[in-house]
Amino acid sequence: MKQRYRNRLELLQGTLDLLILETLRWGPQHGYGISRAIQSQSGDVLQVDTGSLYPALHRLERKKWIAADWKTSENKQRVRVYRLTPKGRTQLADERSRWEQLSCAIAGILNAAKKEFET
Amino acid sequence: MRWPWRKRYDELDEEIRAHIEMSAHEREERGELPDEARAAARREFGNLGLVKETTRDTWSYVWIEQLWQDVQYGLRMLRKTPLITSVALLSLALGIGANTAIFSLVDAVMLRMLPVQNPEQLARILFRSLGSPRPRQSVTNPIWEQVRDHQDAFSGVIAWSPQMFDLAEGGEVNNINGIYSSGDYFTVLGVRPAAGRLMTSSDDVRGCSGVAVLGYGFWQSRYAGAESAVGSLIRLNGHAFPIVGVAQRGFFGTDVGDKLDVAIPVCAEAVLAGKDSSLDVRSDWWLAMMGRLKPGVTVEQADARMKVLSPTLFGAAVPQDWPAKDQDRFRKNTFAILPGAAGADGFRGLRQEYSQPLEILMFVVALVLLIACANIASLLLARSAARQKEIALRLSLGASRARLIRQMLTESVVLSGAGAIFGVLFARWGSALLVRFVSTQQSQVFLDLKMDSRVLAFTIVITVLCGLLFGILPALRSTRVDAMSAMKEGQSQAAGGRSHSSAARWIVAAQIALSLILLIGTGLFIHTFANLLTLDAGFDRDNVLMVETNIHNAGIADPARAPLYGQMLAKLQSIPGVVSASQCWMTPLSGRQWDNSLTSPGHPLPSGVDPDTLLNWVTPGYFETMRTPVLEGRTFEARDSATSTPVVIVNRLMARRYFGSQSPIGEHLLGGSEGMLRQPMEIIGVVQDAKYTSLRDDFQPEAYFPLSQIQKNVDEDSTFEIRTAMTPSALIPAVREAMGRVNKLASLQFTTLKQEADDSVAQQHLMAVLSGFFGGLALLLTAIGLYGVMAYVVTQRTHEIGIRMALGAQQASILRLVIRDAATVLVAGVAAGLLGSIWISRFVKDLLFRVAPNDPSTLALAIVVLVAIALFACYVPARRATRVDPMVALRYE
Repeated sequence: MKQRYRNRLELLQGTLDLLILETLRWGPQHGYGISRAIQSQSGDVLQVDTGSLYPALHRLERKKWIAADWKTSENKQRVRVYRLTPKGRTQLADERSRWEQLSCAIAGILNAAKKEFET
Repeated sequence: MRWPWRKRYDELDEEIRAHIEMSAHEREERGELPDEARAAARREFGNLGLVKETTRDTWSYVWIEQLWQDVQYGLRMLRKTPLITSVALLSLALGIGANTAIFSLVDAVMLRMLPVQNPEQLARILFRSLGSPRPRQSVTNPIWEQVRDHQDAFSGVIAWSPQMFDLAEGGEVNNINGIYSSGDYFTVLGVRPAAGRLMTSSDDVRGCSGVAVLGYGFWQSRYAGAESAVGSLIRLNGHAFPIVGVAQRGFFGTDVGDKLDVAIPVCAEAVLAGKDSSLDVRSDWWLAMMGRLKPGVTVEQADARMKVLSPTLFGAAVPQDWPAKDQDRFRKNTFAILPGAAGADGFRGLRQEYSQPLEILMFVVALVLLIACANIASLLLARSAARQKEIALRLSLGASRARLIRQMLTESVVLSGAGAIFGVLFARWGSALLVRFVSTQQSQVFLDLKMDSRVLAFTIVITVLCGLLFGILPALRSTRVDAMSAMKEGQSQAAGGRSHSSAARWIVAAQIALSLILLIGTGLFIHTFANLLTLDAGFDRDNVLMVETNIHNAGIADPARAPLYGQMLAKLQSIPGVVSASQCWMTPLSGRQWDNSLTSPGHPLPSGVDPDTLLNWVTPGYFETMRTPVLEGRTFEARDSATSTPVVIVNRLMARRYFGSQSPIGEHLLGGSEGMLRQPMEIIGVVQDAKYTSLRDDFQPEAYFPLSQIQKNVDEDSTFEIRTAMTPSALIPAVREAMGRVNKLASLQFTTLKQEADDSVAQQHLMAVLSGFFGGLALLLTAIGLYGVMAYVVTQRTHEIGIRMALGAQQASILRLVIRDAATVLVAGVAAGLLGSIWISRFVKDLLFRVAPNDPSTLALAIVVLVAIALFACYVPARRATRVDPMVALRYE
């Protein structure tokens, strides 16, 4: 059963962490908000699975990259709001540059293959 | 119980509730109906329970709580099925308890280090003589003195000899366990005094008057730990020694299985033995040696150095009265150094005698535990079939399979942990019982069976392993269900049931195989013991009282000893109820031995035949009292006196060795050495071969001399044998009174010939009783296992059987159907067990007596017993199958 959830997750391990950190860079946000933000920012391509989102949030919180507070929303509901910590900000910079390196490298390989394919 | 972090649970619930609320709220705003919006939001969120659980998994402390929950849940489940739980607990308690008990003996006898300073530096100093396979432990005092004064391989060397000392001043003996110890025994071992001072090398010099050091336990029990004991006198065998101090608590000496009540210096042997002293005798082997390695020196280096020193040291201690050929062999002896951290083997060879039996018992109890585990596994399998719906429900509610398996394994480890607690209690009692078994009247065994860290670790490891072993299969099986079909009534039962019962069948077949191996072992050990009990020992062991006598307190010098013995014997013979009485030096089956080489002029032995002969001196009534048949000639009579022709009686083997099929009567024997047997002796009789040191030993050539003609000092110690028509022990008061009238100072110790015989087969008795107990236990567990599986199978097939009976099947054919089902399991198990046993039984060969490891009758008997019990176990459920009412069975669905 658990296995099935993992399969639905189409994000690379660690990528979700990066997306969460990036989303929180724009301001504190609750879990539902984060999942909506990622979904809309990706043009509905990325569906964040709750079975991955909440464990990821709690894991990041334990690593002290993000912190959480209870706030009351517009419609009088108590929500748990996450914000980026200074430590998380440094981490985000690291993760971002690593991601850029990785995507550059992959793009390089794909482009070379593409050129070869075309010639 | 509310955990401090319970708040986080509520917060997570609230966080997730908010998520769904917001999602629903958004959908409502987009125009969906409130109810639909809520349902869609729930659906979109996914499995609530699972999300919560995986999230909680990221919290670091959560496993402790889960463990606690699982333990509580496990305990609740165990309480819900009290019958299964108690059967499981009982078999676990016996299984784990037996393993712990045997292991604590293995630990005490073979593994544990001596309670002294840096025991790892200790090395045993043994020696090898030409042609002897095993290194020998005992050396003579002259050899010890050479080693002490001239070795340079060790920083210190010690010698000791265990000895019983009598505290009583005549009458019944009050023996304590003492040692003769070399002067720096305590210093080299690094033992500290608990009171006073310990011995030093200045206490151990020739001509000493002796001092005594007490053991801690003896000081506590006899002197109540009073400081005033130091400085007082202790009388040992009638000689007084000043007590100078007490050894530290827990020190039991250097021999495994001994205890130390008192130590006196080696030089004091001359005080106790007088002119029979062994200090200068070069062929009295009575001391053991140990050394402490110099820092940085290995056992191998010490061994090499001692080998270099061997010719010089042995050369200086050659027995001058030996024939030249034997002297040459003596000079070729070499020292052998072995690690000694775990102590010496003791003079009775406790470790040598019990290492193999303990290893085998360890194997036996491991098998029993495996069988018990298998039983519990099939019980749990059956129970998990009943819990299938619960599990399916939990899976569909979002429990992950791994989490369920973890929980079920926790449950089984809880079960085995509970079993282990009872097991440890059982083990404490069991191992003490085992030590009593091993102890004999002649040599008591003292082992400290405390639960040390090694035993504790062993118990914990086997407990956890057991829990995992019997839990894993049921856990895997029961969580592999299709939630949908399991939730539906009926069909799932049959589908799941079949795979459960096939797994259970494998388990039972394995149990049968293991049980058969144990049963065959049981058969072999019982056969061995029975052979020893019933063998013709050459004497009649029933109704003989043995009175071991020592006149050391009386202070009677040699020429007066034989007449004193004569008076004693006459008094004993006149006691009413005494059929006959006699006296000898070497008590049969006591483990003691007197031997020397004898030759017969004109009848040379073929080369390669050892001229060594077992010897004993006896009085005229000896063979009559022992009921050893006289085959030829006559026995000793009153006319064989110190002045008449020296005579000797030989056993049949001795006669055959020198004279073949000819009659030896009238031929002569001549002693080899040591001045005691120089005169030619005329053979006047031949008697049946009789066991000498132990029932297990083969018969050996033996010669008997009459006490009246003995050509050496008459000994202080000897044994009177009294054959009676009544219970031997009933005679004890009369014997004590009669002996007291002759000499009040004679020390007496009572036993029976039967007891001596039993003691000499204590090890075989132990193996027979324990393997019988464990074999029976294995059989019982297997029968329960088989019964459980067959009963389950019958329940599963009730429907099918009902149809068959409705279609006209006879009861007998139903019975056959069920029995045939069991028979396949039985045949597979028996075949595997038989193969296993044929392979394994050769490892017990050394422990058997007159029975082959693959003795066909034992194999056959074991199979018959096993099959009979197994068939009985499945007959009961099979009977029930035949009583199935077709109507009820068909209505069931």
